Amino acid sequence: MAKQILSFTVNDEPVDVLVQPYVTLLDALREDLGLTGPKEGCGTGDCGACTVHLDGKPVASCLMLAMQARGHAVRTIEGLGAIGALHPLQDAFVRLGVPQCGFCIPGVLMAAAAVIAETKHPTEEDIRYGIAGNLCRCTGYTKMVAAISEAAAQR
Amino acid sequence: MSSVMKTTRDVRGVGLSIPRPDGPEKVTGRVQYVGDIKPKGLLHAKLLRSPHAHARIVRIDASKARALPGVRAVLTAADIPELKRKAPTRAHAILAIDRVVFSGQPVAAVAADEPSIAEEALDLIEVQYEVLPASVDPLESMKPGAPPVADTGTEADTSEALAHSAVAMAKSDDAPAKAVNVSQTAHVKRGDVAKGFAESDVVIENTYRVPMVHQGYLEPHAVLAEWDSTGQLTLWASTQGSFNTRSEVADVLGIEENRIKVIPVECGGGFGGKIRALCEPITALLARATGRPVRYVMTRREELEAGMPAPQVIIRLKTGVKRDGTLMALEAETVLETGAFSGTVLAVAAVFLGSLYRWPAFDIKGSEVLTHKPSVAAYRAPVAPQTIFAIDSQMEQLARKLGVDSAEFRARHLSHPGEPMVNNQPWASMGAPEVLQKAAEHPIWKARAEWKASGGNGHGLRGTGLSLGGWLGGLQPTGATVRLNPDGTLAVLTGQVDIAGTNIALAQIAATAYGVDIDKVKITTGDTDVAPVTGLSAGSKTIYTVGVAVMQAAQDARKQTLEIAAGELEAAVQDLEIVEGRVVVRGVPDRGVTLAAIGKKGNLYMSKIPPVLGSAHPAFTQQAPAFAAQIARIEVDPDTGEVKLHDFVTIQDVGKAINPLAVEGQMQGGAVQSLGMAMTEALTYDDSGRLTNPSLLDYRKLTAADLPNLETIIVEVPSPAGPFGARGVGEPPIIPAPAAIANAIHDATGCRLTELPLTPERIALALLAR
Repeated sequence: MAKQILSFTVNDEPVDVLVQPYVTLLDALREDLGLTGPKEGCGTGDCGACTVHLDGKPVASCLMLAMQARGHAVRTIEGLGAIGALHPLQDAFVRLGVPQCGFCIPGVLMAAAAVIAETKHPTEEDIRYGIAGNLCRCTGYTKMVAAISEAAAQR
Repeated sequence: MSSVMKTTRDVRGVGLSIPRPDGPEKVTGRVQYVGDIKPKGLLHAKLLRSPHAHARIVRIDASKARALPGVRAVLTAADIPELKRKAPTRAHAILAIDRVVFSGQPVAAVAADEPSIAEEALDLIEVQYEVLPASVDPLESMKPGAPPVADTGTEADTSEALAHSAVAMAKSDDAPAKAVNVSQTAHVKRGDVAKGFAESDVVIENTYRVPMVHQGYLEPHAVLAEWDSTGQLTLWASTQGSFNTRSEVADVLGIEENRIKVIPVECGGGFGGKIRALCEPITALLARATGRPVRYVMTRREELEAGMPAPQVIIRLKTGVKRDGTLMALEAETVLETGAFSGTVLAVAAVFLGSLYRWPAFDIKGSEVLTHKPSVAAYRAPVAPQTIFAIDSQMEQLARKLGVDSAEFRARHLSHPGEPMVNNQPWASMGAPEVLQKAAEHPIWKARAEWKASGGNGHGLRGTGLSLGGWLGGLQPTGATVRLNPDGTLAVLTGQVDIAGTNIALAQIAATAYGVDIDKVKITTGDTDVAPVTGLSAGSKTIYTVGVAVMQAAQDARKQTLEIAAGELEAAVQDLEIVEGRVVVRGVPDRGVTLAAIGKKGNLYMSKIPPVLGSAHPAFTQQAPAFAAQIARIEVDPDTGEVKLHDFVTIQDVGKAINPLAVEGQMQGGAVQSLGMAMTEALTYDDSGRLTNPSLLDYRKLTAADLPNLETIIVEVPSPAGPFGARGVGEPPIIPAPAAIANAIHDATGCRLTELPLTPERIALALLAR
């Protein structure tokens, strides 16, 4: 199959990249753009490890074709904050000792960023439902919820 | 050790909640897992797997796949001279030769330029199967005439038990003629069980069933393999133990360990499922066949269908007590379903059934049974949650029958340190009594009558459940080095795979044992070429054993440092202490030399001062059992059987919390895995042995929305041999919840459920049958 040009915005930068029409957004980000922060935990939209933002909304990038992102703005974990300039969520996750194996963390953070962007003062329930699509096997979620709550309050 | 404690009183080290230093890497997506590594010339591997649980392979034709452009290698059993017909482990059965023994077993392997090409190639491989009858249910599989699983002559694999240093247990001496699919048996007894039951006033018998469950790590198995021109193999592996991976791969491929370097890449969760080799040998063979780096990442479906889950455990348990509560007799038959290859930990069940409480007479039989399903492996405290589910459910029922407080009943009969276990070894120092005491005092437990009374009237049925469980603690020889750098900082090196944040705790141990602040300590996990031999990240033994190696290496480095300083300062070693980066004469703070000066002298051209290099490589004999109690406060919807978890408390003896933040993380994570086993998780198979729920939508793990905030209470009963009194932390919190939830449901509804998971369907049916 012939590759197609995908023009979109990734982490605030305009990007043109040649992709196969059948590749997922997750594979295009990871394999073609080298953004390996989003993870594939299931490939079927059940675990949330691949969560990125599409025009500010959280999506499972393993369930979207890359070409569906044409003309849209995508943000990955690499565009949330950086070492030395962490997003408040990232900072709280580090201080409260959230990450263990860390594989789910990029997806959880993107889901959480959407929660606190949408809701000024999220309740515990808002947070728990906001990250309910993200499976984590290490943490039991308690410290995660506390960190998101703290980051939301700090804004 | 007391002198170390005295001279390092102000050091920032052991006991502080310090976030792991690689946290920023993990929250920014910069940490690299195997699937993120992309060397030049990378090929992608895929495996063709059997759709049948048991079949003869009549013919394989891979010619069309080999001809597909972009395909670089296709391997079948015929292409692998290393393959042995009688595979002692699953790893040795790289590809099926002429018979498949579980659905999902690899039959052929492809390496191609793109994953999509490899996928397409799989479709072009023609395999003709002759389907054979399968042994799917373990109880059926034990019966004479059941379809045989193993090739005759295959030995029981007890290395899993050894890896976990479970317990020494005599093999069954009076085993009857073993049924064809029974791969291991064990039998322990003491006293006269028949007499005990005859003299009992209350006898309760139940059969408890816990299905196969998956460890559920978020990162599927993954490995990257590359050979260099001299025949050296490098494996970038997602493993819980790089040295173990090296040994297994060397054994399977028949090459020297020196020809293999295992680089432990960040591991996205293991929980016991990433101890044994699985896809490493075939990936290495594809790399050898192509002369290029080959990466294999399992799909989630493959993980669920053909990973190495926890065994199904079936326990028939009969217990008798006198009316005054005296324990009289216990009889148990335990069946562990091991799947297509032997490898369970049979002894764990016997220890906890027979010796958590003081049974004067017991008779416990265990069988490991082969079935045509994927072979099993460890899952965090292997067989302990399943066993505690049985024995603790039984204790709760006995207490209810006798009309006594169940926490007091447990406490009255709980074994104490020094008392004999089923294998006649004495219980080592342990804090089970203290943990149970704390649970009995907890406000949620004390208010259980009020909570129950508040149910109904528009609310669901309300109940509270308690359970106590533990883990004997793993042991494994291990090594560590501690170097003093020329600027006075410390470099700690082990081969320890850090999954949960153990490296920060090890660095804290080094800081305190040497006498510098934690920010002066860097810890590295080396590969198998450079690190001292290090054990597995498993069995709750990282801090307990590697922590000792690091502590001793740091003490060794400290001793060398003080000896050099003694020469420089013309003082006796015993008069020296390390204060704020300087070695000083005690009481004369002006007389001192900086650690940096000592470090520099060990690294100067023409210097006569040796570099400081502390090392330790201890082996261990003393286990440190660690216990946790959990309390669940729940509400059951009487119409749907749905359970809402209102509160959940984990109370755990950790000996000494080296890093309380990391300890809490372990307790909370373990608690949710335990709750998942209790309430939602089961690998389910149809009659032909095929998995019916091969996705994370259907294999239901708990989400944030299913759970309340989890309370953690740390209890510290110091272990005699652990670093600073620490015990293992990882295993205990996954153990009690199934019994705690079952007991809470019993409290709320009067129904006793004995089969996991405790789904709404099962609860609703039990309510209907009331």
